Amino acid sequence: MVEKDQKEHGFYEVFEVFSKRSHTSPMQYQFSLLAPNHEMAFILAQENFMRREPVVDLWVVKRSDIRKMTEEERDLLKRLDNKSYRLTKGYGYLRKKWREYEQRMFDEKEIFSWGETGDDKRKKRTGSKAK
Amino acid sequence: MTSVKNALEARQNKEYVSALTELLFQLADDDFILAFRGSEWLGLAPHIEEDVAFSSITQNMMGHAFMYYQLLEQLGEGTVDELAHERSGKKRKNAIMLEKVNGLGTYLQSPKFDWAFTVVRHYFYDVNKKIKLDCLQDCSYEPLKHAAINIRKEQYYHLVHWETWFKQLVKAGGEAKTRMMVAVEKVWNEFDDVLSLGPRGEVMANYQLIDREDVIRQTFMNTIGDVFENLELGPLPKLKEMKKSGRIGEHTEDLEKALATLTEVYKKEPSSSW
Amino acid sequence: MSPLTKLYGERTEEEKYEYFMERIEAGEKIEADDWMPDEYRMALIKLISMHAISEIMGALPEKEWVPKAPTIHRKLGIMAKVQDEMGHGQLLLRVAEDLMKPYGKTRENIMEDLFSGKLKFHNVFHMEAPTWADAGIIAWLVDGAAIITQTNMLNASYGPYSRALHRICAEEVFHAQHGESIVLALAEGSKQQREMLQDALIRWWPSLLMFFGPKSAATTGSSKQDITIKYKIRTKTNEELRQDFLTKYVPRIRSLGLTIPDETLRYDEENKKWIYKEPDWNEFKKIIKNQGPKSMERLTLRRIAYDNNRWVREALQ
Ligand SMILES: [Fe+2]
Ligand SMILES: [Fe+2]
Repeated sequence: MVEKDQKEHGFYEVFEVFSKRSHTSPMQYQFSLLAPNHEMAFILAQENFMRREPVVDLWVVKRSDIRKMTEEERDLLKRLDNKSYRLTKGYGYLRKKWREYEQRMFDEKEIFSWGETGDDKRKKRTGSKAK
Repeated sequence: MTSVKNALEARQNKEYVSALTELLFQLADDDFILAFRGSEWLGLAPHIEEDVAFSSITQNMMGHAFMYYQLLEQLGEGTVDELAHERSGKKRKNAIMLEKVNGLGTYLQSPKFDWAFTVVRHYFYDVNKKIKLDCLQDCSYEPLKHAAINIRKEQYYHLVHWETWFKQLVKAGGEAKTRMMVAVEKVWNEFDDVLSLGPRGEVMANYQLIDREDVIRQTFMNTIGDVFENLELGPLPKLKEMKKSGRIGEHTEDLEKALATLTEVYKKEPSSSW
Repeated sequence: MSPLTKLYGERTEEEKYEYFMERIEAGEKIEADDWMPDEYRMALIKLISMHAISEIMGALPEKEWVPKAPTIHRKLGIMAKVQDEMGHGQLLLRVAEDLMKPYGKTRENIMEDLFSGKLKFHNVFHMEAPTWADAGIIAWLVDGAAIITQTNMLNASYGPYSRALHRICAEEVFHAQHGESIVLALAEGSKQQREMLQDALIRWWPSLLMFFGPKSAATTGSSKQDITIKYKIRTKTNEELRQDFLTKYVPRIRSLGLTIPDETLRYDEENKKWIYKEPDWNEFKKIIKNQGPKSMERLTLRRIAYDNNRWVREALQ
């Protein structure tokens, strides 16, 4: 399989399209399209891949600008499942410990709740009631 | 001019309602016929990704026409589909430039459609449509004002889409630029009609339905003038006077053929539900 | 050391194959740049480029009715539907193009192969669609048949194809309902409208049976179904898919009081199988060789649009 010079065939370039569904959601990969340049890719992207869903932000990236991993390099990503020391599951025994001191465990749920405003809490309550 | 809240209120004043109806027919028929021309392109655009994007624009435009026809329906002019499918050419108020065929052949046979013409016509049309929609944000007829507020948001994409095509093809130079300049001349020669509000333009402005025609024209010329300057296309030529005007129901053979096509199935049984 | 415990770079070609098959068996997805056997790549290119070009060519019969659709609502509906089909073509072309890249081939080559007759498109899209009811039958039953074959490949071992199919099938749900809506309006309409619908059904029935392809290579001399099943690109055979179609659609068609043009059509309770009159497979062979009633006309239309707009693509290269 010979990799021919793409310019010889001279068709448009591949652009990868990413979009955000809402202001709180992360950028998400959608699909790829052919376009002659970034501006053109921009005006084609939404109607090609998100005709029926909301979009609040859009990125187009020239595929050739992405440093992709080869299959061989993906071996770099493998690791053992022995890292409980860096996970909360390695510290579960604390729940019992704190109980001895008549204290609650500050787990993920508890700690994240500290960031909630009164509004969030009310929403949660009515939300769960509705269920 | 105080605002007019609905069709019932509008109908209290005969002169008002006739100017309003006239304006709505122009807006609706313009979008409808150009959307029809767009629909003929479906499946035949120069690039598949563009085919898909273009069709969304066409659907949006037909949706805009639908909204204007609905306002006419509320004013007692007939149902949306009667308005779109039963009116003869003489009753259509769209500008002549917008009914012109896309190029040689038909969408069914040898469609040698002209992409340069399509880009230029859509771009110039959308520049003007945006200016009109800007004016309509202050329209005295509340239902039209609200429709225009919504349409304007969606139309911005159309404008940017065609502007991108226009600029890129002109800047590409060579054959593309030559074709674009031929198309610019063709569109420009018969664009006067698009900028016209017809014989009742004065009345429309007096009732604060839309800005005065000369103001709209000036804004349009300034906008396109800037584009010409940026692309080094020289000074803007004067618009040609036209022998006919779509605003008073004068049209070409192209419209008659278009109407025959777009009503073919409907006319089989106009009273049936489809 | 087993090939599975080795690092990628340590595997021999045979071990790569073994590892590849292992991944497929485990339900992993193969990606565009991954190692894959040539047979797999070739089967995918053939399948997906034909699928892609069939979407593009498939837009044409319905497209004839886009400007003519009877009401604004129908005009918008069919426009959105045909637009989706072009969009499916786009998604699938992208998938095929990435697979062909190692051979230095691009979308242009796919189009050229279509024009030269090297690349075939689906039998149904060579047929005439002379009335509005044909547009209804296409969206209802041709899309219905397409939904059956496409959902069968939703979990295809090739990741990009599987993801494209997920997008496509989500839209097919709308296509099916768009078709049902047109068909129901005609079925509940005037005598003329009902007749138009019945005629269209008669016209399309043999093509619908052919849609799923021959039972085996013995019928027409070639069939790729074995390779695609081996590599978990699809799971069911052509005949199983045809049976599924009959089970899902025959009762619905009959419920509308429409007559299917096959007196022998019945469900055999004992063998749990539909008995039907075999369509003319010689006709099928002719059709897919671009000798169907509309083959040349549609290819010409496609080619004119393509050549006529070449300057646009070249200008922005
Ligand atoms: Fe499709
Ligand atoms: Fe479909």
